[in-house]
Amino acid sequence: MWGYYLEQLIGSLPLFLKGLGITAAVSILSLVGGTIIGFFLGVIRAGGIKPVRFLIGGWVDLIRGTPFLVQLFIVFFIFPDVGIHLDALPAAVLSLTNLSACFICEIVAGGILAVPAGQKEAAAASGLSAYQQMRYLVMPQAMPTILPPLVGQYVLLIKDSSVISVIGVVDITRVGWLTVQRIPEGLMVFGLVGILYFIICYPIIRFSNLLEKRMKFGKYRF
Amino acid sequence: MGNTGFEKKITLLRPNDIKPTFFKKIAAMGIKDMITFKNVNKWFGKHHVLKEINLNVEPGEVLVVCGPSGSGKSTLLRCINRLESLQSGEIIIDGIKVHGRETNITKLRAEIGFVFQQFNLYPHMTAIENITIAPIKVRKLKKEVARKLGQEILDKVGLGDKAGSYPSQLSGGQQQRVAIARGLCMQPKIMLFDEPTSSLDPEMINEVLDVIRNLANEGMTMIVVTHEMGFAREAANRVAFIDEGRLVEIAPPEKFFKNPKNERTRLFLSKILAR
Repeated sequence: MWGYYLEQLIGSLPLFLKGLGITAAVSILSLVGGTIIGFFLGVIRAGGIKPVRFLIGGWVDLIRGTPFLVQLFIVFFIFPDVGIHLDALPAAVLSLTNLSACFICEIVAGGILAVPAGQKEAAAASGLSAYQQMRYLVMPQAMPTILPPLVGQYVLLIKDSSVISVIGVVDITRVGWLTVQRIPEGLMVFGLVGILYFIICYPIIRFSNLLEKRMKFGKYRF
Repeated sequence: MGNTGFEKKITLLRPNDIKPTFFKKIAAMGIKDMITFKNVNKWFGKHHVLKEINLNVEPGEVLVVCGPSGSGKSTLLRCINRLESLQSGEIIIDGIKVHGRETNITKLRAEIGFVFQQFNLYPHMTAIENITIAPIKVRKLKKEVARKLGQEILDKVGLGDKAGSYPSQLSGGQQQRVAIARGLCMQPKIMLFDEPTSSLDPEMINEVLDVIRNLANEGMTMIVVTHEMGFAREAANRVAFIDEGRLVEIAPPEKFFKNPKNERTRLFLSKILAR
């Protein structure tokens, strides 16, 4: 029986690869978008004016404190009530971008705040503008603190993307659901699903470890 | 205090004030104060840190500020380039209100070198990068021009061979000299020193003080917060004593040390000179 199922599974490999493509596309879009927005929010959260800082902090806490599934449902099922109609794919990308932006915002803000205050003061005292202080002094020093957890966060978010299968996006997980209805060998099918996620995530995990080591022994760490 | 009367200027021109560039500077600026404090008050929450400070520093003058820790001397210095805000009064530098709303503070700060107790060098940059970043980014100097200038200034502080070193590879005294060079590289009108030798090992104090002394001889306008009374005696035009946020006494060094008017100054001096 196993042999027969295996043959069937190999037959549906193109479908799996399509799912892999969707997962990769959604992840890349949301991670790139989330990184850009997250850095932007993180910089403001670490040094902007108080009301804006609190606003961002509140939003980040709200998003981090609620399940991604619920956020996804709100975007996909509740937004149409207020006139925002999104297909499953854009809804998924939007929710996941928002989620990554919030996590990345916290990582970036933490990294920036870890740079000693004296660095900014010294830069300010020599006449550098707020932007120049950030660009040439704070960010280069914050990056070693930011990068390893940032890359680690990417792995978590890629895995979180499996949730989008519930609103009908045909990602790897969804392909697994569809396949298991024809091939009733759950372990085999979802084993393959797991392996595909692992193939994406493992290199990133290795990269994160490498970064962590590099940053720790970087020439300008004290 | 706070007057800019003509008499005062005359009395200031004692022989030991006459430095090579002293008159030149005065001629260039006209006779007016470089730094003026007018009824300056500052609170940290409920703590009244600076109380009614009135003070003026003339071009080419070296003012040494001393006082017990927590007396507000660092805060006084940090107010001058707006690292701290004021609650009332004003500070005027070369005719510009430091805390004025319309003041372009980055432009003003570029004219004021600031040296911190903890050096605050940028750890991810070499010595030459540390001192040329502001000239390149703020003064818009070409990189080669800035490097040449930076090298000259490093030579001047005796660190010509350390241009490529990272701060972590330098001793405390060397780091502080790089920090001074960083200030000088902007070719400022004023240099402010916030306890520049307090976090140094004793054997390194002199190499830093020598650099500051040389600057004094060149006619740089400076305010130096320090407990190095030997330095104050030799290099200062006036010495100020601050206690509990009040400017208690300000006088030329010979008067300040030999014949302090205020009881608290006397007490402080006896403590600090007995060391």
